[in-house]
Amino acid sequence: MTIAAAPSSVGARLADLEISRAWLVDPATGREGPGEIVVTDGVIEAVTWLEGAEADGIDASGVVVAPGFIDLHAHFREPGNEDAETIATGLAAAAHGGFTTVCVMPNTTPALDEPSVLARTRDAAAASGSPVTLLAHGAVSAGRAGEQLAALGELADAGVVGFSDDGAPVRSASLFRNALAYAGMLGLPIIDHPEDVTLTDGAEANEGLISTVLGLRGWPAAAEAGAVARDLAILADVLRDVPGARLHLTHLSTAGSLDLVRAAKARGLPVTCDITPHHLALTDEWVAGARRWSWEALDDDGSARDPWRDGVIRAAPFDPALRVNPPLRSAVDAAACLAALADGTADAIATDHAPHAEVDKAVEFGLAANGISGIETALGVVLAAVDAGRVPLATAIARLTTGPAQVLGDLGPGSRGLAEGESANIVVFDRSATWWVESGALASKGKNSPLLGRDLPGRVLLTVANGRVAYEAAED
Amino acid sequence: MVTDPALVEPVEFADRSGEPGPLVEPGANPAPAGQWRHRHLLDVDVLTADELDLVMRTAATMAEILARPIPKVPALRGWGVTNLFYEASTRTRVSFEVAAKNLSADVVNVAASASSVTKGESLIDTIRTLEALGARILVMRHATSGAPWLAAETFGGSVINAGDGWHAHPTQALLDLYTLRTHLPGGSVAGRKVVILGDVLHSRVARSNLWSLTAAGADVWVCGPATLLRGFEAWAATGVGGTRRFTVTSDLAAALRDADAVMALRIQRERMASGLLPSLREYAARFGLTRERLEAAKPDALVMHPGPMNEGVEIAPDVAAGSQSVITDQVANGVAIRMAVLYLLAGAPRPAAERTE
Repeated sequence: MTIAAAPSSVGARLADLEISRAWLVDPATGREGPGEIVVTDGVIEAVTWLEGAEADGIDASGVVVAPGFIDLHAHFREPGNEDAETIATGLAAAAHGGFTTVCVMPNTTPALDEPSVLARTRDAAAASGSPVTLLAHGAVSAGRAGEQLAALGELADAGVVGFSDDGAPVRSASLFRNALAYAGMLGLPIIDHPEDVTLTDGAEANEGLISTVLGLRGWPAAAEAGAVARDLAILADVLRDVPGARLHLTHLSTAGSLDLVRAAKARGLPVTCDITPHHLALTDEWVAGARRWSWEALDDDGSARDPWRDGVIRAAPFDPALRVNPPLRSAVDAAACLAALADGTADAIATDHAPHAEVDKAVEFGLAANGISGIETALGVVLAAVDAGRVPLATAIARLTTGPAQVLGDLGPGSRGLAEGESANIVVFDRSATWWVESGALASKGKNSPLLGRDLPGRVLLTVANGRVAYEAAED
Repeated sequence: MVTDPALVEPVEFADRSGEPGPLVEPGANPAPAGQWRHRHLLDVDVLTADELDLVMRTAATMAEILARPIPKVPALRGWGVTNLFYEASTRTRVSFEVAAKNLSADVVNVAASASSVTKGESLIDTIRTLEALGARILVMRHATSGAPWLAAETFGGSVINAGDGWHAHPTQALLDLYTLRTHLPGGSVAGRKVVILGDVLHSRVARSNLWSLTAAGADVWVCGPATLLRGFEAWAATGVGGTRRFTVTSDLAAALRDADAVMALRIQRERMASGLLPSLREYAARFGLTRERLEAAKPDALVMHPGPMNEGVEIAPDVAAGSQSVITDQVANGVAIRMAVLYLLAGAPRPAAERTE
């Protein structure tokens, strides 16, 4: 493999790039294999698939070129909590993670519940100089208070791509029904964070063996599945009047809720969902101090192994970096998440990138803010699952590209893959190279990653967004 | 009830003050080096059977000191021991204070209410402050499970967990084990049926006792209403430490049958408000430890309670004060155990180069 590029700086139009003898993955056409790609003046000029002797020695274990990733779910904290993240640092982190499009959640201060906040967000993105596309979800309810609808129509006119009260569910079933119908009229999805909060008051960790042993308040899986069941029942109801109603369930984490979505899709309901990298690969036993991947914590009979019996407690328990909503689940749930990713029940991998300032995390586990800074580690975590044979590479890339694009509808450049004549939205990463996750290596202000101090596979070499350089790895 | 401290063989005793001065036992050797490797006591889960035994033997030495006319030795002279209590607790705090003073340590008591949290003072900040003020051993009580681990990460000395949330209460578990060993024939809990009765879900006492009692070989039963046993069936099935099984039941008669000891746990009034129990009356009627029910246990079965008791709710007054009760012994043994823990931690290996920054 060789990469030949004219010197360029971040934000500059990519004048000339030629990647020869790499592994190309193009979910838009369903094709992957050895190939070459040429970008000239920011536009994909040529994509050549190599065959026969030309392809000898090129496999998927080296440099991979894929369409830039699309994140349906990230928190960039601006406006209101710029100590945790800004639009600029969030976009830089996204580029480092290989993402060329990011949808930010509206739980800012003030909430993104009317167009002026969206305008501020866009101004900050433009001022950052980042070529990464920033999209936004508007709030479902005014002030995210769960009482009245936000300015859904005005937000739609201003260009939001969906509506969500994420961070919290839309608690009122009545308001949720109205939101689905109104957003459906506007042709946009409701993105719900499914959680029955009457079951999770004060909850700290997934209810199960780990929470029992550690004396943490249990966060039952039923709190998610129950909320998903409610949402699906209401969706089916609303569809009778509003055929355009669409529901997207974000950060699903349990076997039970994924079974419900699988059945709903089989019935033809217009529902989609995403799963985070951490719910695929990490489990609640990390809270006890274990540090193995979810698939390593699964017994042959499909049950979760006991980390104490296995003698795999490596770190101190109660690391606040592991406190997240929904909580890290059991190995059984993580296996269900991987299966849902593989069989298409889950449409997308979304990071739920949730950076926090140190003061909000360097506290007692139960008092720590929920969230993992994960947009930069997403690819590495997903590749760990690929390396372990839990999901094929092409499927994983599809769930980071075409999957989220379909959830959002046509996004123009970025959702059309490695197509000639398109403005380049690509990521180049090296599966044979690992990178060391440490706070200094993260562009995000949020250093709240439970993966600090670990090697992750798949070092990103180059991210090109809208034909411009978004991230370029330093020379070794 | 006969107490026989001789069933627990004492260890030899050393001065930790680092200054020339009278040793407790003239001519005694220091406690064998290398036997105690823990800098903190955060829970009993990390203690081996040998280490549990060392704590028991050290506590027996302390019990001998406590039996003297003036129960005070200079072993921790000059040591700053700070009791940092984020939850109100008279009993445990006083027990630690008495233990530290008996060892001649300098004791500071800090009652850090939730208000210091609302004022924005973080736990880490508080601990750095207390360390700068001379604390070398920090005794900490906190309502949040896991808080002492955060403290241990920050604090340069030793941290003793005096109870964190629902999670752990290691000195209570150690004093319970000590009390059992001094009262049970043969001085061992191995093979003995020990029943933990009541609000197991919210109990740090139950969790720590599950680790130490199963490590010592006891046949542990936990019993209570289904809402207060949530999650324990799965733990019982895999076992403490992944291997040491115990029994979970709501059948009180089955739990008490032929038991060697019964440990009743306190029921909090909040359990009714959160819908876990219909009423205290109903709890007392179904799960209260009464004289009549205790007859199913062995004739001289021990009755224990970590305190404070709701007499007439989880335990009948005549049982609490009866001939089988060792509840006041638990309180007295608590001082000996806490002296032993303070003493052992003061002799623990210190990371020399760890805090040079």
